[in-house]
Amino acid sequence: MLAQQILNGLISGAIYALFALGFNLIFGVQKVLNLAHGAIFMSGAFIAYYAVEGGLPFWLALLIAMVVCGIASVLIDRFGFQKLRKYSQMDAEFGALVISIGIGQILTSMAQKLSQTKVLSFPFDTFPVEFFRGLGMRISLLQITIAAMVVVLVVFLALFLQRTTFGRQVRAVAINPRASALLGINARSVFMLTFFIAGAMAALAGVMIGLSFNSIQFMMGEPYMLKAFVVVVLGGLGNLGGAVAASLLLGVGQALCAAYLPPGLSDILIFTTLFVVLIFKPNGLFGGALAPAGVGRQ
Amino acid sequence: MIDFLKANQPVFDFFLLTLGFAYSQQIVLRCGVFSLASAAFAALGAYCCAILVVNLGLPPLMAIPLGAVLGGAAGYLVSVPLARLRGVYQAIATLALVEVVVAITLYAEPLTGGAVGFNNIPKHVGTVEIALAVAVVIYLLHALSISRIGRGFDALRQDEYVAASLGVSSRGQHTLAFIVSGLIGGLFGGLQSMYAYSVEPHQYGFSFMVTTLAAIILGGRRSLLGPVIGSAVVILLPEISRPLAEYRMVVVGVVMVLVVLYTPQGLGDTFLSWLSHRRASKQAPPPAKPLAADARTTKSKGDTYGRA
Repeated sequence: MLAQQILNGLISGAIYALFALGFNLIFGVQKVLNLAHGAIFMSGAFIAYYAVEGGLPFWLALLIAMVVCGIASVLIDRFGFQKLRKYSQMDAEFGALVISIGIGQILTSMAQKLSQTKVLSFPFDTFPVEFFRGLGMRISLLQITIAAMVVVLVVFLALFLQRTTFGRQVRAVAINPRASALLGINARSVFMLTFFIAGAMAALAGVMIGLSFNSIQFMMGEPYMLKAFVVVVLGGLGNLGGAVAASLLLGVGQALCAAYLPPGLSDILIFTTLFVVLIFKPNGLFGGALAPAGVGRQ
Repeated sequence: MIDFLKANQPVFDFFLLTLGFAYSQQIVLRCGVFSLASAAFAALGAYCCAILVVNLGLPPLMAIPLGAVLGGAAGYLVSVPLARLRGVYQAIATLALVEVVVAITLYAEPLTGGAVGFNNIPKHVGTVEIALAVAVVIYLLHALSISRIGRGFDALRQDEYVAASLGVSSRGQHTLAFIVSGLIGGLFGGLQSMYAYSVEPHQYGFSFMVTTLAAIILGGRRSLLGPVIGSAVVILLPEISRPLAEYRMVVVGVVMVLVVLYTPQGLGDTFLSWLSHRRASKQAPPPAKPLAADARTTKSKGDTYGRA
């Protein structure tokens, strides 16, 4: 029972990681909280659903959803956040919040219209339903696929950021955009790339959530936005490794809360933890003393 | 005009309540604190008021001020830990606080009615009472903003270090702003519970925060006119665009994006600074060329909030 709960928690934590990594990547590079991320996530699930309904194979639908959401994210950046750069920092910070809220509203109300406020679900045989048993636990093929995909993606992202030239450019821009521009880095292409990766990962997370809970609806982004805040703060804003660890922690914690505590208590615990961590360790649980703080006003 | 108001009275009442919450949100932003805790204060005020009136039989005239005081006390308590944080971190911490309050109101079912909400509250408050409360709040905020405290808030928002070097206590002023925000939030929360027959936890959740924050940023963070314009846009625009039926929320989103892209200071503040520029240029018309240059720099920089 306990082992099964931990396993389930790890799987849902892996999906949180997919969602939160993109959100965190955008914050790390651009220093904006992209509140439209939840809507992008929802759009991914919708696009994949309609593509599957239209007769496309599942893998192609997933690919289309990822590409379309990636491009949508890039467009939000190009025609939203980039336009705010010419204003003072505080105006830009507030403006980015409202712009992303506005875009989120546009996307969710379009999705609402499209689905006529109904809960959609993928056709039954979209993904083979198979279960494996062992060690007293039960795991579905879908869960194994999700876990494998998240591991592969996280490893690729880490290699990309640490080992490739483009990844080094991304990290340089995250630390200091002006200095990296002086060194000849094209910040605009870095922003485009990070937004594309974030959008594509959000879409992937949306499709996976839609598959594993068998429900897709226009408001599905909001609870994940709130969870992303928790993950991002526990792991440290802009700290990608911390975000993965925090996602898994949150997933397991939530599964255990759901299993052993009275219902309703888990949200109180989670958000109280978030508040307390912010007060005492604002760099996140895994941020050392040397982690870039940015807590105070620069 | 009167007919129009009568036909749309619920919308107008809702506009006034949102205006109140917007002032609660504005006062913290004005002194440079990025708090979203107004939703939590409003929830506390609303539930406190409803419980006092329904369960304990207190008269509303006593319960509403008590709700406001509870909000103010919560504001003080929140300000103590939050003094350590700034910017986005404050926003996330207060967001967590709001979610905790929502989760507690959902969990404490015997007291609050849980997810069903607290129902059967007698209606004691109408348009007149809410309008009166808004007028009082506007007057007090105006008095505050032309006093030393208000100047301190403006200085803190523009540059905390400079303000501190000029003898403005950032700790004290931030605490004060939190308390005022809590008082206003609690007051209008209480009024809303006495107005709307029922209170429900998710009413004071994420969407509440988004609405009040959008109202302030659309209207302006500095002037008292800002929230009026912002709340009007946020509340009335969906009503005006009703003929567009299902597309109206799309229109609202598009308007929000466009307003922020072209007037990042907010409609109200931009309008006021335009007025004062015009007045200044009428009184003493300087030579044409420098004026044009001047106008360009002020347009691009505006009120230099920056931390550069």
